[in-house]
Amino acid sequence: MKKKKINRTDLVVLTCVSILLIYVIYRLTIGFSYRWNWSVMPQYLFRFDAESGKWVPNMLINGLLATIRISIWGTILATVIGVVMGLCRTSQSLFLRLISRTYVELIRNIPPLVIIFLFYFFISDQIMPLLGIDYLIESLSGEMEGVLRFFFADPVYASNFFSALITLATFEGAYITEIVRAGIQAIERGQWEASYALGMSQWQQMRHIILPQATTQILPPLGGQFISLVKDSAIVSVISIQELTFMGTELMSGTYLTIEIWTIVTALYLMITLPCSLLVERLEIYMSRSRA
Amino acid sequence: MKNLFRILLVITLIFCFTGVAAAGEIQKKLIRESTIEKIIKSGKIRVGMSTFVPWAMQDKTGKWIGFEIDVATQLAKDMGVKLELMPTKWDGLIPSLITGKLDVIIAGMAGTPQRALKINFTIPYDYSVENMVANKEVAAGFTKPEDFNKKGVTVITRLGVTANNTIDTLMPLATKREFPDEGSLVQELINGKAHAILISSPLPAFTALKYPDKLFFIPTPLKSYPISFGVRKGDADTLAYFNNWITVKRNQGWLKDTATYWFQSQKWKSKIQ
Repeated sequence: MKKKKINRTDLVVLTCVSILLIYVIYRLTIGFSYRWNWSVMPQYLFRFDAESGKWVPNMLINGLLATIRISIWGTILATVIGVVMGLCRTSQSLFLRLISRTYVELIRNIPPLVIIFLFYFFISDQIMPLLGIDYLIESLSGEMEGVLRFFFADPVYASNFFSALITLATFEGAYITEIVRAGIQAIERGQWEASYALGMSQWQQMRHIILPQATTQILPPLGGQFISLVKDSAIVSVISIQELTFMGTELMSGTYLTIEIWTIVTALYLMITLPCSLLVERLEIYMSRSRA
Repeated sequence: MKNLFRILLVITLIFCFTGVAAAGEIQKKLIRESTIEKIIKSGKIRVGMSTFVPWAMQDKTGKWIGFEIDVATQLAKDMGVKLELMPTKWDGLIPSLITGKLDVIIAGMAGTPQRALKINFTIPYDYSVENMVANKEVAAGFTKPEDFNKKGVTVITRLGVTANNTIDTLMPLATKREFPDEGSLVQELINGKAHAILISSPLPAFTALKYPDKLFFIPTPLKSYPISFGVRKGDADTLAYFNNWITVKRNQGWLKDTATYWFQSQKWKSKIQ
């Protein structure tokens, strides 16, 4: 590996950036009339619970955990929707293609905020009773309630959580559909024809020949989409899901410590997305190496 | 002929009875499907509220406190059910109630005629008065609300609250801007990007107290609004129950004591920060 040297251009750029940074900090502290109060911030992350004598997560960390939960479940559900719809999109049946095309175009051409409102207030109202989730939550035993709280949300907010989850997954699923479709269509025609010539059925061609090759194409952009999902999960704060952004705005309404809280919220989001970004980068390198 | 008469008689009688029976059935169904019945049956009441100091806010431990919280807690206690607080964005409260995600709104909501077209309101359990707090530098020399009715003056308030209406009628020349929560509202005023905030008391007075070097309070009371619980339309039982509850609590003096604690004193301040 070549050793990196700092040349003159780098130095100029570095100085410019640091001057800009110092200027911004200067404006924030001097020119900007804001009463900083960082000292109360740590208690919103963790607090000492006098009753149990332990440190327990407070509002912001609870919000972060909710964001992580909704992101993980959203990723799983969106991937399922995306793969199924992506297969439909490349299917030979006109009906399936019509369904998946309609789904993708509908979702991709509506602003996410509008979809969330529409879905949460009108559609999920029809879907949720159908799934019987409310009924299920109520019939849970004490132990199962703990499980529900750990993996999803507090039983009180569980119904809202599932509505938000379905909304987010439906929304992100459309983008994953397109990623899967592009991955499948990127496989050259000859592969289909060759496997057909070997006497494979449509499903076998897909399962043994096309999908394994398409996966290497799909994975890197899919990773990028998962990072988007984490970020987009902030949108569900508008329907009052107790995730990080919502907790942040709630805290701001109560304390007026706007900038401190947004700064912490930003840092917490970065804590999730940056490692994911690095992972995706590693994955891309690995994939390109294995392909070569 | 006689036979025909008999048959007609029997048919009429059947219709009469089913009519009576159906009316009774409808009444039973109405009672069974009323929100109040559902609350008692499920043993929990889902109350929609929104952060608005000191109506509803989270203390240092994340616990909900405030005037509305006290009201909701007492209500649940009197009904013998569990209280489930559902913190909801202000503009999402009414849709959430209509679509059945909430049982009742207890969020310092004023029962304005426009809102009453969408949901029903109980008799008032409190009254809110609107006040203003202004920036000392930008709004220098402004002393009364009329001074703000000028071109180039910016008055800000919260999205979807009654104060929007007040600004439109009292200060038609001023520019109005809306923010979704109080934090950004106060920040905007402190930064001097707006001349004043117009919103329900006690926020203006308390904010002016908190930043005495930057802001000042304009004590002129503007419009006053009755504050009510919001319930779904077509549910007379629930409305009647809450009205009764409010009357009892008012006559006991409980509502007034609670309101005095939250709105006149600042004893709760240390719980927040």
